[in-house]
Amino acid sequence: MKRRSWIQASFLLCTTVLTSCSRDQGQGDEILIGEYGSLTGTTATFGISTMNGIEMALDEVNQSGGLLGKTVRVIVEDDQGRPEEAQTVVTKLITRDRVVALLGEVASSRTLAAAPVAQQMGIPMVSPSSTNPAVTEVGDFIFRVCFIDPFQGLVMAKFAAQSLQLTDVAVLRDIKNDYSVGLADVFVENFRTLGGTIVADEGYSEGDTDFSAQLTSIRARRPQAIFVPGYYTEVGLIARQAKSLGIEVPLLGGDGWDSPSLVEIGGAALEGSYFSNHYSVDDPSPAIQKFVGDYRDRYGATPDALAGLGYDAAQILFDAIRRAGSADPTAIRDALAQTKDFAGVTGVTTLDENRNAVKPAVVLQVNDGKLVYVETINP
Amino acid sequence: METFLQQLVNGISQGSAYALIALGYTMVYGVLKLINFAHSDVYMFGAFMGFYIANSSWFQATMGTSVLSGVVVLLGAMVLASMLGILIERFAYRPGRSPSPGTLAFWFGILGAGFGYLLGKTPGAVAAGVLAGIVVGVILEKWGVRPRAQSSSLKILIIAIGVSFFLENSGQQVFGADPKFFPQIIPTKVLNVAGLSLDSQKLTVLGVAIVLMVLLNVIVNYTKTGRAMRAVSFNLDAARLMGINTDRIIAFTFGLGSALAGAGGILVSLMYPKIDPLMGILPGLKAFVAAVLGGIGNITGAMFGGLIIGLAEVMAVGYGQSTYRDAIAFVILVLILLIKPTGIMGKGMVEKV
Amino acid sequence: MLELRDVSSGYGAIEALRGINLSVGRGEVVSLIGANGAGKSTTLRNITGLVPTTSGDVVFEGVRLNGIPTHQIVGMGISMVPEGRQIFANLSVAENLDLGAYLQKNKVENARQLELVFALFPRLEERRKQLGGTLSGGEQQMLAIGRALMARPRLLLLDEPSLGLAPILVHTILVAIDEINREGATILLVEQNANAALKHSHRGYVLETGSIVMEGPSERLAADPRVREAYLGER
Repeated sequence: MKRRSWIQASFLLCTTVLTSCSRDQGQGDEILIGEYGSLTGTTATFGISTMNGIEMALDEVNQSGGLLGKTVRVIVEDDQGRPEEAQTVVTKLITRDRVVALLGEVASSRTLAAAPVAQQMGIPMVSPSSTNPAVTEVGDFIFRVCFIDPFQGLVMAKFAAQSLQLTDVAVLRDIKNDYSVGLADVFVENFRTLGGTIVADEGYSEGDTDFSAQLTSIRARRPQAIFVPGYYTEVGLIARQAKSLGIEVPLLGGDGWDSPSLVEIGGAALEGSYFSNHYSVDDPSPAIQKFVGDYRDRYGATPDALAGLGYDAAQILFDAIRRAGSADPTAIRDALAQTKDFAGVTGVTTLDENRNAVKPAVVLQVNDGKLVYVETINP
Repeated sequence: METFLQQLVNGISQGSAYALIALGYTMVYGVLKLINFAHSDVYMFGAFMGFYIANSSWFQATMGTSVLSGVVVLLGAMVLASMLGILIERFAYRPGRSPSPGTLAFWFGILGAGFGYLLGKTPGAVAAGVLAGIVVGVILEKWGVRPRAQSSSLKILIIAIGVSFFLENSGQQVFGADPKFFPQIIPTKVLNVAGLSLDSQKLTVLGVAIVLMVLLNVIVNYTKTGRAMRAVSFNLDAARLMGINTDRIIAFTFGLGSALAGAGGILVSLMYPKIDPLMGILPGLKAFVAAVLGGIGNITGAMFGGLIIGLAEVMAVGYGQSTYRDAIAFVILVLILLIKPTGIMGKGMVEKV
Repeated sequence: MLELRDVSSGYGAIEALRGINLSVGRGEVVSLIGANGAGKSTTLRNITGLVPTTSGDVVFEGVRLNGIPTHQIVGMGISMVPEGRQIFANLSVAENLDLGAYLQKNKVENARQLELVFALFPRLEERRKQLGGTLSGGEQQMLAIGRALMARPRLLLLDEPSLGLAPILVHTILVAIDEINREGATILLVEQNANAALKHSHRGYVLETGSIVMEGPSERLAADPRVREAYLGER
């Protein structure tokens, strides 16, 4: 897919120049939609899974005749997992490519950086999987099709306190990440309400490779589990270092763990750990099984939740365009706001008055290197 | 107490990572008075070379998880890294020192490769581009267009920064910008001693760092080449008058320093298995601070500087705020420089007479 | 043995030498005298390749030296004691001397040569473990000469060996130069101290702003009124 030649190396600059020459102009028989995501960087699988899901939805809609008699085209931009880059590429998608709607991002910090641009320009944006509450508070053009962190944090707090019967839990959060900080706050609050004690609350920064100091401090407090609401790369490294410090308790986390790379990085050290997610591939419902099968045929991998949410976000957006009967951004926004009982692979989606989806969450466990369904928790 | 001792262990293993990078930094500086900014990128390069060696089908077929395979990867990466270091020296730094034929042909060749790729995107087009670039370079040199050799330390410093960016961006293109995960090529065992968890891998890293430090000290202080290196470092012209081929000694210095960077790349990746093309920047900066802290040019000082920075960082995170992790190295630097400007083990340089 | 034909040299736009001709025969001590900035040091640096010539030929034992890198020229049998001594202050006396024999692989010969140097300058043997930078000016000059001798040169170039030394030390150094010449080395001596240089050489050249203005046997030069006035401080 991405052919890299070392030759290309010397030529970042020239490549940039060349791309900017081939200006994408939306033609009259096309509906242009912009997508931005982290196709590279420490959360690369987030962007790639989402892109795969969107691609599947796109092909399906175009094979059945497109929308409003026009072909749908999605222009994809890589933000390298950097908030400032997300803002830049979204500005470019709106002003230069003149897209009528936007899909993205996964990480809340990147969506939060880009959303004000979309809001100001009046272009509807649908985030497939940003769970931080602040995302849709940016304005009435910003939507999401996943649950939010106050719910996800509650799910894990309930799971820890009630299903696992834990009383002492430590927290290790990414202090430079909106998602991680928000989720940790909600977890701490709910776990305490449920009668538990937070024995330690430590921080790290995305990109760190050494966590032994934090883990040593945590180890001294003898927690029964460690809640790590970060992204999969750091989680994998944290799991390994915890093991090498002799910490045997399970790790708990959120949907930021969801990646095919999680187990590759963390290996055996992650065995027995739990995290909350948007759906489970083990769900027997025919819609999910069809999606999983199609995805495996096409990409040779099991779709993670982000692929499913990418697929659903695209389908919900297409549905809104169809209902709006027009490719006008404001009309699309109005139709999106009316989304009700949309049956997707990640559950039935209804957007509430705050433009958030209300959906159940599942808890998965790492078992023999695979993600195993444990339970579903409803809102 | 147990926690404190464990933090001490953590700090030493983090510190040995910085020390490994700092060794090469300080040696190259000691000989050439050049802050080799590309050093941290050679470190990155070494890690990736190790990654590719360990994932090659030949390696997978013949080696397993053993100390031997660790040695094979380590030596392989060191050799490749030193080759890169010598290449950098030959085509980027040396032209700043003396007129070096072939320099223009080299860089025009790279430029041509890029144009070839943009125009054709086939190996043939790239090869044609390289060829055209080399021809242009050779013709320009025949006309007398040569890099002007006026050695100014500012110029060389800027070249070093440029080389560093070039390697980072090339790395992103060639290796891919997303992180890769270094395979576990040496067996890991967690030893429990009196409540302390000692990771055998981290002990190995510390051990190898110490061995390399001793080896480096021996080379620099007790061999003929080392004597020549010190002569070159003190006075280039006088060294030439001794019959020393200074270009060769400088290339050797770069090769040795880069081999150390490569070794650092492998050893650090064994401890912290996430590798990406920008992985060298921050550790490189901190290793540089470690080298200055220890007294730049002083090999033993670099080792201690690295350990101090590692310990300080871990203590800052363990007993303070992880927010200050990256700042602590620089705070220490400022303090030390205020108290002892030459660094902990640095001697006031004897003025050249 | 050494011949400079029409050699010019310069740094950028400044011309330091303007077509000088000079020759040194085997076994001779030849002195090159002149004021500060006359181009004496540049001449020596042209011979050893530290500074490139802009035109003309430098020929040593029939081989043209122009363009050959310094370290190879040293290998051909030319050693130079640079102006200001330029010993390696960060290395010990013994290491400095070892470096002098960098290209000499024969350990037995090197040991013998080291004894010769120590015989010439006993002070160096006493201080062999000391760092070069801790020596006095005279001792540093001895070290610089000893270091150059370690390469067993057939031609020794000396750049201002008496500069900044007390008269008694100047004498010691000059006597040593005579001794080195007796042992068989040919010497080209650059000096501002014309009196001393002419006393210890067979022939001499006088350099003025990049050109040779006078040449001849040392005694004749020393007797020449122009030389006496300009360089020996007599009226």
